[in-house]
Amino acid sequence: MTVLLDVKHLQTRFKSRKRYIHAVNDVSFQVHEGEALGVVGESGCGKSVTMLSLLKLLPPAARIEQGEAIFNGDDLLQMNSEQIRKVRGAQIGMIFQDPMSSLNPVINIGTQLSEPLRAHLKMSKADAWERSVQLLDMVGIPEPRARLSDYPHQLSGGMRQRVMIAMGLACKPKILIADEPTTALDVTIQAQIVDLVKDLREELHTTIIWITHDLSLIAGLVDRIMVMYAGYIVEEALVDDLYTDPRHPYTIGLFGSLPDLGGQQRRLTTIGGAPPNLEAIPTCCPFVPRCKYAIDKCKIENPPIKPISGSGESLHSIACWVDIRDRREA
Amino acid sequence: MFRHILYKLLRWIPSVLVVILVVYALLFFGAGDPIRLMFLRMPGDVAWNPERIAAMRHELGLDRTFLAQFTEYIWNLLHGNLGNSLLYQRSVNDMVKVAAPVSIQLALAAMVIMAILGIPLGVVAAVYKNSWVDHLIEGTALAFWAIPTYVAGPLLVIFLVRGLKLMSVPYGWEGLFSPKAIIPLIVLSLRPIAIIIRQSRSAVLEVMGEDYIRTARAKGISNYLVMSRHILRPVLTPIVTSLGLVIANMIQGNILLEVVFGIPGLGRLVAVSTIDADYPVVLAVVLIGSFLVMGTNLAVDILYPILDPRVRQTQVGGES
Amino acid sequence: MTEKDIPQITTSGLLNAEGLSQDRKYSLWRDAVARLMANKLAVISLALVILLIIISLIGPYFTPYDFLSQDLSARSQPPSWAHWMGSDYLGRDVLSRVIYGARTATVTSFAVVAVSGFIGIILGSLSGFAGGRVDTFIMWITDMVMAVPPMLLAMVASVALRPMVAAWMERMYASTGDTFYRQTFWADIFLLVTVLTLVLWPTYARLIRGQIITNKTKNYVLAARALGITNSSILVRYIIPNSLGPVVVQLSAGLGSAMLWESAFSFLGIGVHPPIPSWGNMISEGMDYWRNSPHLLAAPAIVLGVMTVAFSFLGDGLNDALNPKQWSD
Repeated sequence: MTVLLDVKHLQTRFKSRKRYIHAVNDVSFQVHEGEALGVVGESGCGKSVTMLSLLKLLPPAARIEQGEAIFNGDDLLQMNSEQIRKVRGAQIGMIFQDPMSSLNPVINIGTQLSEPLRAHLKMSKADAWERSVQLLDMVGIPEPRARLSDYPHQLSGGMRQRVMIAMGLACKPKILIADEPTTALDVTIQAQIVDLVKDLREELHTTIIWITHDLSLIAGLVDRIMVMYAGYIVEEALVDDLYTDPRHPYTIGLFGSLPDLGGQQRRLTTIGGAPPNLEAIPTCCPFVPRCKYAIDKCKIENPPIKPISGSGESLHSIACWVDIRDRREA
Repeated sequence: MFRHILYKLLRWIPSVLVVILVVYALLFFGAGDPIRLMFLRMPGDVAWNPERIAAMRHELGLDRTFLAQFTEYIWNLLHGNLGNSLLYQRSVNDMVKVAAPVSIQLALAAMVIMAILGIPLGVVAAVYKNSWVDHLIEGTALAFWAIPTYVAGPLLVIFLVRGLKLMSVPYGWEGLFSPKAIIPLIVLSLRPIAIIIRQSRSAVLEVMGEDYIRTARAKGISNYLVMSRHILRPVLTPIVTSLGLVIANMIQGNILLEVVFGIPGLGRLVAVSTIDADYPVVLAVVLIGSFLVMGTNLAVDILYPILDPRVRQTQVGGES
Repeated sequence: MTEKDIPQITTSGLLNAEGLSQDRKYSLWRDAVARLMANKLAVISLALVILLIIISLIGPYFTPYDFLSQDLSARSQPPSWAHWMGSDYLGRDVLSRVIYGARTATVTSFAVVAVSGFIGIILGSLSGFAGGRVDTFIMWITDMVMAVPPMLLAMVASVALRPMVAAWMERMYASTGDTFYRQTFWADIFLLVTVLTLVLWPTYARLIRGQIITNKTKNYVLAARALGITNSSILVRYIIPNSLGPVVVQLSAGLGSAMLWESAFSFLGIGVHPPIPSWGNMISEGMDYWRNSPHLLAAPAIVLGVMTVAFSFLGDGLNDALNPKQWSD
């Protein structure tokens, strides 16, 4: 499979008063054409910031310190504002978490939908309006033409998110980045949205990057998952491999905290300790304070991410010094 | 929507009545005897003749009960008659007719200046936040805001007339477009401009931080569109509200200005009348002022649903 | 492999690069004070305000000349060693008068803010917390007061109440013989404070009412109710402390504003009357001599301007300190 997006050693920091917050530390990954990649991690682990960095949508306090992101032969991180503008929406689309705050409340749906069409595909106002009707229909909104004159607050949460998806896919971008699109929605609506994205992916052959903190949600949607912690990627694997054979202590902890519908009733386990302080990049592994399997080496050096032995080409990598199959408890 | 406006008007009328009553009562019972004040003004050889005083009092109707005088006042009011000045025996209507246009002209001119200068400067300050441009604009706005009218006025006069010898002393009124109006206009606009700059800046900053701006940029539309459509529209609501508040405030900033520069507008009229305890005049100006304040509030209320679609359906009943 | 080998997380959850924990005592006010101190402009302004307070309290005892004493041989002198700020048309020392004017300004503004703030906060809290008819009634009153342009209202009230205050003072003097009641200064101040309080209290009432209404429905209040804590306790211990933020900012701004009001009134001749110095009446008198003795006008004007700006910066600083915005830089 061809590699659409190749990110190497991305590092992004935020400056706040006199302190730095190291949100993304040395992140490298590839996205292949046609795949659906899931990015999982707790709040603050850097998953959103990574993707926002690619499209240069970060707030003014943020700085991309280093890295490259090759897309279509060009490095996104080196682009000027006009170049990146042409990429946004047209080549890489992005949709966000809370559709109520992510849609402009004083502009009607039709205009908001038409904007990318007119900006990238140079459609006329009338053509863009027509196309918007088709887009709304595509995402399953009833009476699409009437909805165009509505304002965001007149729609339900699920419908708003569908509008966001329509906006994101309007110009048929090669990649769609979905930043926790279902987190703010009801469980039943979540399922609908996931199904919708699955269908659209098949129909339009779009490559999907789906960011979430909810492991159970994306199992049926993505092909491959990246787990992030403290601005690093700590584990990467195909979906089945990750769910049946998680290798990084953090991933194991995440799975342990998932309630299990089918299996035995047991106490939910939690990962002890607190989220990491991103103000200082530790020289040791960032997960050490909360890790049950930590050895001395972990406290000294931060493990790089490497394919696990014996995996061959199965694309399963972890960033850990310890092979947890050998040890149950430290 | 008209129901809403009507409702507001209806709620406003009793408030105005109470205000009139309170102000009238305050002046009636408190302000001291206007007849006596009149006498104090007369040339020294006029005798304090109790009979003549009583006759005058009776003639002016000032010896009746509070209720009688107040009722007559309201009655006249409903007929559009603001009464007669106690001191000058002229119709207050006439006095107001002369003074009002002056103040209105000044105020309108200041409003135009304020909007044309203030809003763009505020927007610029927000866009270039924390740069030297921002600091310069904010600092200037603060300086403008902090200087009281009657300080800025004389200081400007000293500076421009004595220091730079640009013009002669602006005392009196020769019309809006005469050189005498320049300094008063500048002084009048100082505070409003400052307020508008700060409000615009803060409104734009708040909108700029919203998620939907990020979405707009993520769609790859041009920066110009993001500014002119996605930022400007939501920003109009708080800016219009501020404009309304500032206009309402300008009505009284006028008083000091007119006194300092000798401009024969409503402000000076009320200042002089207050000291003279000429309360029909004072009442008239207070009424007009309240009308204007209410009017601006109403106008802002009407504009709100037009500017912000979220407000459109929820107009039943007023807020408390 | 023992417990000790794994760096511990402390309750505050902070861990620096060496794995050492850092504990910090956290409290809203302490944090706010720290932020305020970091803001240089605010600190300078605070220093100026404190300086003003000190001058107004003890300054009049240290003035080089009595502010009333006239030296007709040295009239309208520009600033010199004898008179640092010059002398006025009656030969009075301008510096001394400015210092005394500081006392006038400070006493008035602090009194106004204290009283109007007190009344406003009480009525506003009551209104916000009780809701219903009480709220409607109190808001109706504030609406009416606010419907009249404040300057006009203040002028009217001032003129109306003056004779009453004067008469009362006379009666008190007649009955007690205490010369305190003879001093027009205090009569003026009393009247001024009353009038300005009348005009300014609705601002505070509205402000805190808004905050209380917002906080009333917050979850921690519900939680307190669920625990059976009494309403008055909830109001005083939970809601009011959390609602005070913007009110504190307004109080500080109010000080500057009250100072401006006092000088405006004194300027117009309905505030503090000469010969008692107020920056306002000094400016008014000074205006007549602007051509030849601009220092008479400039001295009080500049001092007034500086103090107003200081209060404004202080208010801004307080605002930033109490309402921090993340990611703002």
